[in-house]
Parts: sequence; C-alpha cells; structure tokens
Amino acid sequence: MKRDLEKVRNIGISAHIDSGKTTLTERILYYTRRIHAIHEVRGKDGVGATMDSMELEKERGITIQSAATYCSWKDHDINIIDTPGHVDFTIEVERALRVLDGAVLILCSVGGVQSQSITVNRQMTRYKVPRIAFVNKCDRTGANPYRVTQQIRDKLELNAVMLQIPIGLESDMEGVVDLISMKAVYFDGEQGDDVRYEEIPAELREEAEEKREELLDAVSMFSDELMEAMLEEEEISEDMIHEAIRRGTLSLEFAPVMIGSAYKNKGVQPLLDAVNRYLPSPTEIENTAYDLDNDEAEVVVSNNPDDPLVALAFKLEDGRYGQLTYIRTYQGTLRKGDTIVNSRTGKKVKVGRLVRLHANEMEEIEEAGSGDIVALFGIDCASGDTFCAPGLNWSMSSMHVPAPVISLAIRPVDNKAQDNMSKALNRFCKEDPTFRSYVDQETNETIISGMGELHLEVYIERMKREYNAEVEVGAPQVAYRETITQRAEFDYTHKKQTGGSGQYGRVAGYMEPLEEGEYEFVDEIVGGVIPREFISSCDKGFQKSLAKGTLIGAPITGVRVVINDGAAHSVDSSDVAFQQAAVGAFRQGYAKASPVIMEPIMKVAVEGPSEFQGAIMGSLNQRRGMIVGTFEEGNYTVVEAEMPLAEMFGYSTTLRSLTQGKAEFTMEFATYKQVPKSIADELIKAYEEQKKEK
Amino acid sequence: MGYEPLVTQNPLRVLNIGRNNRQMGLVMARAGLGKTALLVQIALDSILRGNRVIHVSIGESIDKARVWYDDILGFILQEHSVDRPHELIEMVKQHRMIMTFKESSFSRARLEERLNDLVLQDIFKPDCLVVDGFDFETTDRASMEDLKDLVDSMSLQAWFTAICHRADRRVSPTGVPAPCHEVDDLFDTVILLKPGKDNINLEIIRNNSEQDTSGVSLNLDPTTMMVKQG
Repeated sequence: MKRDLEKVRNIGISAHIDSGKTTLTERILYYTRRIHAIHEVRGKDGVGATMDSMELEKERGITIQSAATYCSWKDHDINIIDTPGHVDFTIEVERALRVLDGAVLILCSVGGVQSQSITVNRQMTRYKVPRIAFVNKCDRTGANPYRVTQQIRDKLELNAVMLQIPIGLESDMEGVVDLISMKAVYFDGEQGDDVRYEEIPAELREEAEEKREELLDAVSMFSDELMEAMLEEEEISEDMIHEAIRRGTLSLEFAPVMIGSAYKNKGVQPLLDAVNRYLPSPTEIENTAYDLDNDEAEVVVSNNPDDPLVALAFKLEDGRYGQLTYIRTYQGTLRKGDTIVNSRTGKKVKVGRLVRLHANEMEEIEEAGSGDIVALFGIDCASGDTFCAPGLNWSMSSMHVPAPVISLAIRPVDNKAQDNMSKALNRFCKEDPTFRSYVDQETNETIISGMGELHLEVYIERMKREYNAEVEVGAPQVAYRETITQRAEFDYTHKKQTGGSGQYGRVAGYMEPLEEGEYEFVDEIVGGVIPREFISSCDKGFQKSLAKGTLIGAPITGVRVVINDGAAHSVDSSDVAFQQAAVGAFRQGYAKASPVIMEPIMKVAVEGPSEFQGAIMGSLNQRRGMIVGTFEEGNYTVVEAEMPLAEMFGYSTTLRSLTQGKAEFTMEFATYKQVPKSIADELIKAYEEQKKEK
Repeated sequence: MGYEPLVTQNPLRVLNIGRNNRQMGLVMARAGLGKTALLVQIALDSILRGNRVIHVSIGESIDKARVWYDDILGFILQEHSVDRPHELIEMVKQHRMIMTFKESSFSRARLEERLNDLVLQDIFKPDCLVVDGFDFETTDRASMEDLKDLVDSMSLQAWFTAICHRADRRVSPTGVPAPCHEVDDLFDTVILLKPGKDNINLEIIRNNSEQDTSGVSLNLDPTTMMVKQG
C-alpha cells in the first residue's frame, strides 16, 4: 500500500506548561478513534492521560518526554509529537521540532502568551516550523481569546488572525462561529462527538461579518485569485480562502488562530480540520542533510519513497521490550528485514520489529514510507544518529545542543544501586545530549550535569523509579570556567637529564584572549626551530592544560595560543618532552595573563501580578541580578533580568513566599560572565582549602 | 572611564544638554523619521557621561527597545575605536533599564510607583528618563504638568518623543506643532525632525530655554540614523 505523502502530517503540540497540551492531545486521540475513553491529566480515576506515559509525569501532572503517536483524521495520517512545556527540557522540544513539519501552539485564553510560549515560538522560528495557534481553555473565568490573539501579534510577532469567534465565553461557551463557512459550530453529545452546524445566532451576525472582513483582508495578499475576487466583488469560495490561508501559513507569514476548550470538548474537530488543511505535508518542507563522503556538502533530501533511505533517530526510550528508537524517515522506505547503516558509527544494523506508536500501545507494521514517524526495536544508537541505506553516507544536520550549566555529585546508597545507577546514567546520556555524567578523577564522585535544577531532579527521580537506583545527592555546583583577560608572553624550556636519553624542549610565544570560541592554536614557527612533528605535541600540551585552571580548577576557555619560537635537541627532544614544555609554557603565560573566573549567567523572566513588581525586583537585585527591563500590561507584569546561576538555587521557594505563590519564573542559559572580585576571592579560598584537605 | 572622546566628539554637544537636571526635552517628528533613534542617542550620551537612564517605552516590547540600543551602540563603536568594547557594552547595560507599558497602563501614578520601587530599594537610581511613545493627543495640560512635577521632584532630566501629523496645522507662537502646541512651554529643549533632500534635519526650536543661535545645523544620516553635523 503506497501512502499518499500529501496526506501525511507530522505535527507537534507545544506550549506553556499547564495550558492543556496533554488534554488536547487526549481529545484528538479520542476523536480520531485511537482511544475509546478520555482520561484527564490529573484524573480522578487514577489512570492519567494516555500521552503521559511515565509515572513521574502522571504524578507531577507535567509531560516530560515527548511521546510520538499516530492517528488519522478524514483520510489524513497525522503523527503527533507531544512536547514538554518546561524550559529545563527545551532540548526535548528542540529535538521534536527538528522532525516536525508543522505545529499547533497552544495558549491559555486566560494566561495568554507567557514567557515559555515565547521561548517555544522562538525555537519554532529557528526551525522554520509553520504553526497554527489554538487558544484553549475558553471555558475558564477570565477567558479572552481576542486579547490572546493580540498578544500573539505583539509578543510573538506573528501575523495572527482568528478564523473563528466564540459563541459565549467562560461557562457560557457553547461553540464557535466559523468565519470561512459562516456557520455556527456546536459540539453535542457527552464527549462532544457530534459536530452540528447551524445558522449564526443573530446577535453575533454583525461581529462575524466584521471579523470575516478582517480575515479576508489579511489573507488576500497570499492569493491573487482571492484578491481579484474581492476587488471584483465576486463570489468568494471557501476553497479560495483555505488555499490563501494555507499559503500564508506555509510561508510563515500568517498564523491562523483557532479557539476552543479541549477540556469541555469544544473546537477540537475544527482544529484537526485546520491541521489537515493548513499545515504542510512532508513534501512541502525542504530538509537538508550533509553528505559525509563529499566534504559535508549540503544536500536536499528528496522525500521520494523510492530513493535510498535517509532517516533520523530523534528519540530513545527504554521500554518493556528493550530500547525503542523513534525515527523519522526523510526519503526512501524503511522495511522490516532491511539492512541500514548508522552513518555516525558506520555500523550496519538489521531492521527487526517496526512499530507505529500510540503512547503506551503499539501497532506492528511492515514498512514506513518517506516522511513517516515510527519506532524500531533493538537498535543500538544514540539520539541524533542518522541511518541510511548502504552506499549512502549522509547525516542530518546536527542539532543545536547547549552546554550544561549546573552539576551535582551523586552517590549510590549501596552496591545494588551502584549497578543500576550506571545503567540509568548510560541510558540518560544517550537519550538526552544536554545531560552528561562523568566520574571526577580526584574525588571519585559521580557527577551529573544538565540545564537546570529541575532537569537534574527529574533524572534523579527517574533513576529511583525506573532503575531502582537510590542515590544521595550533593549540593548543586555551578559550572564555572576560567579565562584570561590580557595578552602574556611565555618562554619555557623543559629539560631533564636522568641518565640515558633525556628530555628537552623549548616553547616560546604568547597567549591572548579569544572573543569567540574556546581555544585556538596558531603555529608561527619559522625555520623549523621546533620540528614539524612536534608542533602537534605542543598543541596537545596546551589542550591538556586547559582542562584545569590554576585559580579554582575549572576548565579554561577563550584562549588563543600562538607559538613563534623554540628549540629542540636532536636526541633528547620527543613528543612527551614538547607536551611537557607546552604545559610549562602555558602555566607560565597563564599566571601573567590576568586569569579570571567566569560564571554562567541565566536569562530569567519572572511573571506575576503588578502589585509584587517591587518585591520581585528587590529579590532579583539581592541575588546579584541585573534587571534588564520590565513589562507591564494591566495588572500583570514581567521582569526580565540577567542572573548568575549560582544565586538562583532555591529561588522558586523565595518567589513563592514573596508573592503568595502568584508569580512564576523561567530561566535559560544566556552567557558566561566574569565573577565579581569578592566572590572570586571566596571561590579561590574555598578551592585552596579543599586542596589542602587532600 | 576613557570614553570622553565619545562624549566630547558627539555632535549632540551643540545642544546644551547635561548642564543641569530637572530639564525637559522634546523630540518631535512625523512617523518614521527617527525619533526613537535620536532619543536613544540622547540616552546613550547620558550613559556615557556616567548617568543612569530609564528608558520608558509605551506600547513596545523590551526586546525592541534593547535592539535600538544594540544597533546605535554598534554604530558608535564602528565610528570610534574603544579599547575594550565589551566593557563598554556591559557598562551601558548596567546603566540602563527598560520599562515598557501597555498604552492603557501608563500613568504618572504607575510610573512614580515603579520609580520608587527602584529608588527606595536602592536597585537603580536614575538620573535621566527617556519616554518613547507617550500619547500627547489624549493628554491634557494638567497631566503634563503633573509629569513635569514628578520629574522635578525626583530631580531627573527627561526627554519625550511626540508624533506630529502633516494634516494638523496647529502650531504654538514659538513654532512648536500640534499635538504639543499647548504644552510646549513646559519643555526647555524642543527639536523637530524634518525631512531634507538627502537627510533628515534637526530643527532646534529651543535649546535649553534659549532660542537657538549657534548657527550649527545637525542632521540624521538616513541609513544609520546617527546625528551628524551638517
């Protein structure tokens, strides 16, 4: 059976935490007959929503991992990726966006556009994902989809226009008016299964006409046909409008706004229609890969199911039956029994079981065509690996992976936990590139690092629940760095005579701050005073020195090292001798280059009622924060600040008590900045005491 | 701080700004001529002289205002070489705070409350206030006097921008066009941006309470929107 690619949609559902993503997904699965009962996120029945497959998610009521699921609506195949809403898990969101062709951005009709929505929207813009906005929770007190639409225009800077207007709001919400067909839409039956079309209620007639005009004005620029029809005052067909909206959406210059309440079963079916109508099929999105055999030249993947296979493993999950690898095909067809090659490792693997997923349940399939999202069993790979048909060596472009900013020491409570812990860590590192773990050589402690406190907390919980690995947790540590602030010369001779052949090497040059990048090595040796073969030894020696600075033992970054002189001995010079000379030279130069300590600075946005603005600013100021600005709208205010991560531990508790729990904050890594003198002195003192203790 | 040349060579020195506090300035133009660009240059000049500036933007986002500063500072750094540009950029960040309000939520009371939040907690003590997007059309003289009163009481220097319209021909006796023709006497300095042949001219209607007599003319470079002597 050849599937019509035109009728495939790979979409993401993405939004602020608590705006109802999971509830909406649940409804979609229900209406598309994938599930036969509806469970709520915090369900009374204790079952929990189908998409939140991890126990922890059920308990906290948040969605951490993006489960992929498949459904079909009106002869279109839709793959849905449910994405997490908390900023600490943005790598998950970004990874999901990479494999999506379109997205539904959910906003709460009361809370409107919040800072997390802004982050997600920015990510979508980066990956050029066309999107539809869905203003959810229109049944809640204070709902105002008009205001939210305006906020989408102002804050997300999208050309957002409503395709529907509500029939009643808050508890009076009955349905919506479709401005394209000019019909009132009601959702009957206990679960809103029956969609009923009626005449528009008389009292809404005028508003509907007016809003329809606005809509037509906004989309006419995407279709000459529509523009002409409007000018000539001819009959405007529904198809004409759909086509114009579709074009505008695909070009990212228009964002249709749909409204409803997933919880009250209103407006979900029209949203599915909109997904089919306006979001792109895999063939309409241009995806590129890098040809590894051809100097990483960019190539456009064809989407043709008859071409050799190119597929991206974007997510791993440890299931009951072993490792499950979620995969998106970009061209070719993936068949059971095929042999495919992992282009990172060059390893050949055989495709065993191939399944289509629906959260916790799965359906065995024989093959997956281009553009599909499916999962494989028993394939050993890391997240982000590309699989190709033998003979092709392409890699999908690498994903933007931020460096971790916070680390924790963990200690297993007993031997059994020790084994389980290593298993868990191994798995998490493969699943999530922003999560790392290593053993500190000096303290012999296991260190895990990631993007924020919550990020690490979730993994510690998962260790306990899924792997039965109980661990003790140390205090969180900020990932400091060291760097130099001025140019310094070095000239160092390494000489050792211990009978037999000795060691000799002299390295001279200078080091200077590097504005962009971590390390650069420049070879300006003339006349072969350091023989060719030992140049790389010098480079190695310098790189070795970067691992640990002399101030607090943090890694050194932002250094350009230039060597321009040196000397060698015909017998006593060796690779080791020059590495040693470079280490000495680096130490000599580093001490003179005014080294400083750098700390991660986070971009923090605190949102809450305006009455607390003073208190919020005070709390940020006390924590060495620099307030960038404030935004005020009615009684609601946002304070943006740049904060040292070291000062943000426990901030959520402080904020909660300051504002009676009415404010919340989001935080993401911004940059590294020099630590103020007084704090640097303390850090150095602590480091020296720690050294003495050993 | 080593940024003196950036201050002394600034063509804005023609305006007698920075001599005293409690001064009110007004930049007027039709839409799109560069009011905000000029306002941000005035703010940056104040920062370079060591002052702290609050940028109040009505109806715009924090990001938009920040981008203006980044752009203009970028142009300044292109024209003048500075030893450590990063330090300058950092210094500007620390001496500037952006406050944005929705049109409907801006009032003297709100502004005063916000300023007090900052000053009383010793978070940020401003010397200069620049206000972009203030709606003069719907503001009566009493509210404007009220604002001037606030500026005086906190001994700030304050700059406002105002949009004028071609169709509105009302003008004050000293040549200040609507919508500010009835409140222009509250301002010590009034600058009107006018499109010239190849650039935008700064017509200095009043220069720190005096009619301008310097004979020096200023204009905005139409590509960078930077003030130039012309």
